[in-house]
Formats: sequence, structure tokens, C-alpha cells
Amino acid sequence: MAKLNILPVPTFARLGVNFAEREVGASETESITVPDNTEQRLIQYRTSDSETRVRVEKNAALKLVRIFAGKQGCVSRLSVTLADNARIELIELYIGGDTVSEIVTELEGYKAGFKADIGYELGSENELDINLIADHHGKKSTSDITVNGVLRDKARKVFKGTIDFKNGAAGAKGSEKEDVVLIGGEVVNKTVPVILCAEEDVDGSHGATIGRIDEQHIYYMRSRGIPEDKIYELITRARLTRLIRKIGDEQAEKRVYGALGWSDDDV
Amino acid sequence: MKEKTQVADINRSLYDFRYEEDESSFLDSGITPDIISEISAEKGDPEWMTEFRLHSLEIFNKLKMPQWGPSIEGLDMNNIVTYIRPKARMKDDWNEVPDDIKETFEKLGIPQAERESLAGVGAQYDSELVYHNVRKEVAESGVVYTDLESAMHDERYAEMIRSHFMKLVPPTDHKFAALHGAVWSGGSFVYVPAGVKLEIPLQSYFRLNARGAGQFEHTLIIVEDNAYLHFIEGCSAPKYYEAGLHAGCVELYVGNNSTLRYSTIENWSKNMYNLNTKRATVGENAKVEWVSGSFGSHVSYLYPMSILNGRGARAEFTGITFAGEGQNLDTGAKIVHNAPDTSSYMNTRSISKSGGVSTFRSSVVINENAVGSKSAVSCESLMLDSISRSDTIPSMVVKTDKADVGHEARIGRISDEAVFYLMSRGLDENSAKALIVSGFAENVSKELPLEYAAEMNNLINIEMKGSIG
Amino acid sequence: MSELLKITDLHTAADGKEILHGVSLAVNEGETHIIMGPNGAGKSTLGSAIMGSPEYTVTGGRIEFLGGDITEEAPDKRAKLGIFLSFQNPVEIPGITLSSFLRSAYEQVTGERIKLFEFKKKLKAAMEVLQMDAAYADRELNVGFSGGEKKKAEILQLLVLKPKLAILDETDSGLDVDAVKTVSAGIKAYKEQTGGSLLIITHNTKILEALTVDRTHIIADGRLVAEGGAELVDEVIANGFEKYI
Repeated sequence: MAKLNILPVPTFARLGVNFAEREVGASETESITVPDNTEQRLIQYRTSDSETRVRVEKNAALKLVRIFAGKQGCVSRLSVTLADNARIELIELYIGGDTVSEIVTELEGYKAGFKADIGYELGSENELDINLIADHHGKKSTSDITVNGVLRDKARKVFKGTIDFKNGAAGAKGSEKEDVVLIGGEVVNKTVPVILCAEEDVDGSHGATIGRIDEQHIYYMRSRGIPEDKIYELITRARLTRLIRKIGDEQAEKRVYGALGWSDDDV
Repeated sequence: MKEKTQVADINRSLYDFRYEEDESSFLDSGITPDIISEISAEKGDPEWMTEFRLHSLEIFNKLKMPQWGPSIEGLDMNNIVTYIRPKARMKDDWNEVPDDIKETFEKLGIPQAERESLAGVGAQYDSELVYHNVRKEVAESGVVYTDLESAMHDERYAEMIRSHFMKLVPPTDHKFAALHGAVWSGGSFVYVPAGVKLEIPLQSYFRLNARGAGQFEHTLIIVEDNAYLHFIEGCSAPKYYEAGLHAGCVELYVGNNSTLRYSTIENWSKNMYNLNTKRATVGENAKVEWVSGSFGSHVSYLYPMSILNGRGARAEFTGITFAGEGQNLDTGAKIVHNAPDTSSYMNTRSISKSGGVSTFRSSVVINENAVGSKSAVSCESLMLDSISRSDTIPSMVVKTDKADVGHEARIGRISDEAVFYLMSRGLDENSAKALIVSGFAENVSKELPLEYAAEMNNLINIEMKGSIG
Repeated sequence: MSELLKITDLHTAADGKEILHGVSLAVNEGETHIIMGPNGAGKSTLGSAIMGSPEYTVTGGRIEFLGGDITEEAPDKRAKLGIFLSFQNPVEIPGITLSSFLRSAYEQVTGERIKLFEFKKKLKAAMEVLQMDAAYADRELNVGFSGGEKKKAEILQLLVLKPKLAILDETDSGLDVDAVKTVSAGIKAYKEQTGGSLLIITHNTKILEALTVDRTHIIADGRLVAEGGAELVDEVIANGFEKYI
């Protein structure tokens, strides 16, 4: 068993969030470079263990969509390096499975920008451990991390999100937000939003809301004839549809709807 | 506007006086079963306590140092004198306290504080309580406030202490809890009978005087049902070259429908390792309120824990941490929701300056059975320069879908506009910043009794101005 | 005419406090009933209790609909039976569009799947009755809607879902004159299209102008204190509730 997804600064051991343990086999490795002043979009379907290294050069932009919809889940490591004015928009969707995913972004350049939009839908005995780290080195670098998810049945999820303002990253801004809806008495949700800061001139924030669907919402929808399980489905769709539409590729969107068991006529 | 303020080490002369100790009263440094037995014999422990100490020492030797948090490498465990034989036996008449000890406390404003506003004061000097007094009317209501050793030998409380002592914080909890179990000395025992609502606070004041001394006081508070208590703990230690260690332990038992407020302003000298453990268990519809200010110490590990065991139990934690030069203060709180309809609220501020490191660390755990529970955490950090550090490491573990948990945190700097605004009204830059920082600390100061809020603001001003002000 | 709704000696409580102290009334198919009464009398509580709101506990009595006891029934079951409540303050539900929400409700209530295209047609027709901008269909449910827009969105749902009994809880309050006209037109259209029954909780008569009132009930302090025909509405408007308190 290897220790993966190690929290950059360990905390109380009893919470079980400092690392994940998994058997790790051989993994596919790939490197992607986006040259100066270019823009790319890339869609990846991840079903087996992989390691991806991305470098976005000066004034370049990458939209990277990663879909984790395999039944087994996998171990994924993504590292991103951003040069001056380089931008990455990362869209990730986790549907079912048992996945360990690490995302480390080095915002090295001046005004480097990292935008992450992550969604998950986990049920039965699915497990997901995400360790996202945004290291701000560059002046005026920005990170914006949004996570939305739904846990049902006996699903277990750990989301660790670290914004690390290194000394010298003056003018950097970072924000992180996770919203989790819990449906089912046996779910376990762990949220660890970390901010590390060694620079005065920064602006960092994080927020999280974890819990049930508002009872008034449930009553309102039921009064229109929608039964409880259908309400949960509607709420799940509401949370994920916004994200799925950001993919901007019909083929990929169809595949995601398929993985979720929705026909696109439903949307 | 971005010019950094130069700040020198604060003048602590008010706190840094000390008196020479007669070295012959020291026991050998380091911790062995022989030393433990010697302490136990010296204190006239009951047999169960001697065994408890020796058992705790075994646990201490087995446990590892904490694997997270600031470095405590500078702490030489073999060099900490665990117990300094007291010069004086406990007194309840201030006039009988030896002059040098008395002078120390007079300088710290005790028992002046007692005369002014407190129901009772206990003062600990090194390892033993030297002064203790409770107002007559408070004693008549059945409230007990005494030192733990005396209470342990008093047949009225002996069994109560035996059944509560280190039951909330067992020696197996962590290495320094084990150390505490082995070498604890002094501290307070408070008992508030059912239905008694004490309107004026009880206060204790701890002080470490001897060079290289460890302080291991134990505070045990039992509040029965339908009662109210406000307990204030103040701490200070003079500055020595060798690193001092504080590994105290606070155990609070809050009965059904009762409220216990526990306020602390900690201002240990800046070479102290403060590895303190505080924990409360809270009954049905009862409430624990922690108000905590951390200003002193070289290194702190401090996370008061509230275990909400009764239906409808509540916990509130309001804290501020100010880390200046040479300080690494790792503070926060832990909350465990262990019953239905429980709620918790955490509101903290941290300030880092002149190379200081402050870390906010928390955990909120909502267990499977805590249906209908709510928790909200809000923490804000302020960086006053770029040679300091400020880390925020909260965690939330939720094991039921019938709960609502919210968390928000911000980190940033003093806004240039705010400083400019105040300067445009005639304040100099330092005063403007001090004023803004005091405002930032308002979450805590508004929860403190007036004279403590004033003391805290004074500490902030001293830290901000780098002079005695 | 057969009996649609029958309430017998209904007692309800919220937070341990009894609000309705034994209310009985019956509504037949196709009838229009008005409920009036001073603030805090329990009018909205009655509407909510018929819909099965979790906020209120029924502590005594029975609610029957189409001859079956629904006192303990879940709100979605009641909706499927044909009960609709227009909320006084409908909740805002981010993330779900009005259109997808209503389509889901339509499929549940009617028990049949409907193609997106067909549903949009239905929705468009109903929106025209209410002079609603088609863009509202794709807006998140009630999110950022003004008071008037929320009320219109409630009536829109009424027109699409076509229940047997519509309870309108102060649907006219807080609306300007034009909005009252639009909402009234919507209610009239519902009545014409379905012949359904109405239970209208209201303070004023404007919304009633286009309707034939069969029965009026006055509630004060959790009890029915007076009943009568349409004339009772005018009397209350003229003289207030003093004589009933």
C-alpha cells in the first residue's frame, strides 16, 4: 500500500485525512505542453491509473476536461505548471467508482490563472479522495476552485483543497468553495480547506457548506407531486448540469449524461 | 502606504521579573519512576494516584511525539524540572504568603483583581497553589473552589475526583497528556451544585517562576444540572534562557441545562512550550463557552475540545491568537457532535507579525447519531508583514445526512484604504494599524469582562507598537 | 355534485402550540370557496394542513379527498390525487430551471412521460395567458423573482398541472393592479379549462370579480366563526371582522 494524496501540512491523525492508502500499479504517463500564445482544449476519459504533466507556456490557455466515470475508479495524478499569463480551466467530473485524484498546480508565472470546477456524484459504496493543491509563486496569480457534489447511500468522500501563498506572491488571490449535499444516513463526508500563507499582500478565502437539502425545498417540490427520490435526482442534476454544460462538447456531454443514467432529453 | 512597520521585540519587563530560586529545592531533572514516586510521596498522594502517575509514565514512554504541528525540538524533556518543592504551603490569608511570591503576584495585579470583581482567586506559583480564597457568600451556596490536592484528601470530594480525574483526557490521549498524568501538580477543583448560578466569575492565575520549570497544573470543574459558572484562567511566566514547558490539563463537566464559560488570556513568556489540553463534556441542553486569547509562548499547541454528549448540547468557541517574533502558535478548537440536535459555533481571529507563525487548526466531527445538528465555523487571519506566516487548517467530518455544516475563512492584510481613512482623520500610521487590529480582535474582547478586555487591548497595543506604550 | 374535500374537526399544532381548534368544511367538485379572517387566524395553516406541510402536525380530526382519508398522506401523494397549493412565499431553488422542475412535476402528477418539445408547447401556451416572458422558463426556480413574478409562476404551475382542487393562499397580496388582473385571468382560465374547485384565502375582492363564489368561511382564532354565500364577502369587506373576534 502506498501513501497517496498527502495533505501538505498534516493535521489531527484521528480524522483520517492526512493521506489515502492504495495499491498502485504501473500507470500511464503523459506530458502535455501548450506553447506560447496558443489555446487548446483537451478532453480525457480516465478509467485506469495515470500520471499527467501539463505545462502551459506564456500567454497560453488550456481548457482541460477530465471525466472519471469508470466503474472501478483509478489513481490519477495531475501536475500543472503555469508560466506568465498562462491560464488553465480544469473541469473534472467524478461519477461513481473508487478514485484517488491529486491535482497540483504550480502558479509560477506573473498573473498565472487557475480555475477549477469539480463535480461528483457518488452512491453505493463509492469512495473518492481528492487532494488539490494550488501553489502561488507568481505575483498577481489567481486561483478559483469550485466544488459541487452529491453523496448518497454509503459513499465516502474526502476533499482536501490547499491554497498555498508562497512568500513573494504579492497581489495573489485565491478562493475555494465546496458545496456538498448529503442524501442517506450512512454517507461520510470529509472536507479540509487549507490556506497556507507566507505573504502579506494576498487575498484568500474558503468556504464550505455540507448538509441536507433544505426541508422547505423538499416540501415545496413534494407539494407539486414530485416524490422524494425524484427530488434527490433533480437536485443532483441541478448541481451537475451547470458544470456539464461548461464542457462545451456535445459528444462528451452525452457520454457524461450516459454515465449518470440520464437521457439528454431529461435535461 | 506599503512601507512595513519596524517592530522591536516587545518590552516585557512588566512580566519578566523573577526571584532567584534556591536550587537545593529542585528535584533531579528528567523523569523516571523514582522521581514520580518521590513527587507522589512528597505530595502525600492517595495510593490510587501514585499508581495512576506511574501508569501514566509508562504510557508517556511508549507514545510518540505529535506528528503534526510546530517543532518542539527545542524542548529537552530531560532538562525540565518537573516539580519544584514549594517554599510555602497553601495560604488563605494573603498576608501570610512569602514576600517574594507576594510581590510577584502584586505586580501582576493579584489579588487586586479579586478585590475588585471576582468571586474567588486561586494563584499557583510554580507547582503549588500558594494562595486561595473564595468569597463567603459563594462558599455558602455550596460552591467549592479549592486546590485539587486538598480536595483529593477531603472525604467529601475524594470519590468525585477519583471518578472524574483524567477521565475526559485520559493519559493515552497523547504524549503530553501522559506526562501530565505522571507529574501533575497543583491546579483547581471547582464544584458548582445543581441550581446554583454564580453571577460573578471565579478566577485562577498561573505563573511559572523557576528557571526551566515545567508546570503541570490540573483544573477539574464539575458543574451540576441547571447551574452557571464563569471561570477565568490567566497565565504568565517570566522569561528565561532555558525552554520552559507547560503541559496543563483542564477537564470540564457541564451538567444538563447548565452553562460553563471558560475564559483564558494566556501570556506565557516567549520561550515557553505550551502543550495544554482542555476538554469539556456537555450534557442535555447545556452549553460550554470558550473564550480564548493566546498571546504568549514560544510554541503553543492548544485546541480546547467540546464533546456534545447530551441532546441539544451547544458549544461556542471564540478565540484570538497573536503570533509575534519567535512565536509559533498552533491554536484552534475541536468539536465532537455526539447527540441529536446539538450545535456548535466557532469564531476565531489570528494575527501574524514580525516573523511570527500562527496556525488555526480545527476539527468538527458530526457523528452518525448527531441527527439534526448544526455547526458553523468562521475564521479570519491577518498578515501584518511578509516575514510572518499564517496557516488555516480546518477539517470537517460529517457522518450523517441530517446535519448542516458551514465554514468560512478569510486571510488578508490591513486594507490601505482603512489606514488612509484613519490617517486622514489625524492618526499616525502605527496608531491607525493598532486601532484596526483592535477592531479585528473585537470578537474576543467583547466576550471578556471589562478589565480583561482592557488588558487584552493593552497587549495588542504593546505588540503593535513594539514598546511598552 | 360529489364531495371533493371534506375536513372534519381538524386540529393542528406547530412547535407544540395548537393553531386550529377543530375546523370542519367541505368543498364539492367545481365549487369556489373563500376563506377570510383576521391575521393570525389560522387561514394559511388550514391551506398548509390540506397540502400536508411538515411544519404542522395534525393533532385531531380528519382530511378526506375524493372519499379517501389523506390525513397522514405525504404531500406528493396529495398532489397526485389532485390537490395544489399556491404558496404565499414560494421558496427559491437554485440550480433547477422552472421548466425542468415543472416538467418533472407534470410527469409525476399525470403519470405519463412527455416529450420536451410537447411540454414546451404546453408551457408556452400557459405563459401567454399570464403574459410571462418565455425566458422565465429557463430561469432558476423562483431565484431572483420579484414578489409578483413568484405569484405568476405559481399560477403558471396551476395551469400546467391542472389539479382538481386549487388552494390559493393570498395569491393576490402584494400585487399591483395589473398583476392582480393577470393572476385573475390565470385563475379564470384554470376554472374554464378544468372545471376544478377553488379554495381561495384572501383579503380582497378584486381577484374574485371574475368568479362565482359558492361559499364563504370566516376563520378567527383557529375556529370557523361564520359561514355564508357570496354575500358574506361583501359584508366582511364593509364591516371588517370585529363582530367575529
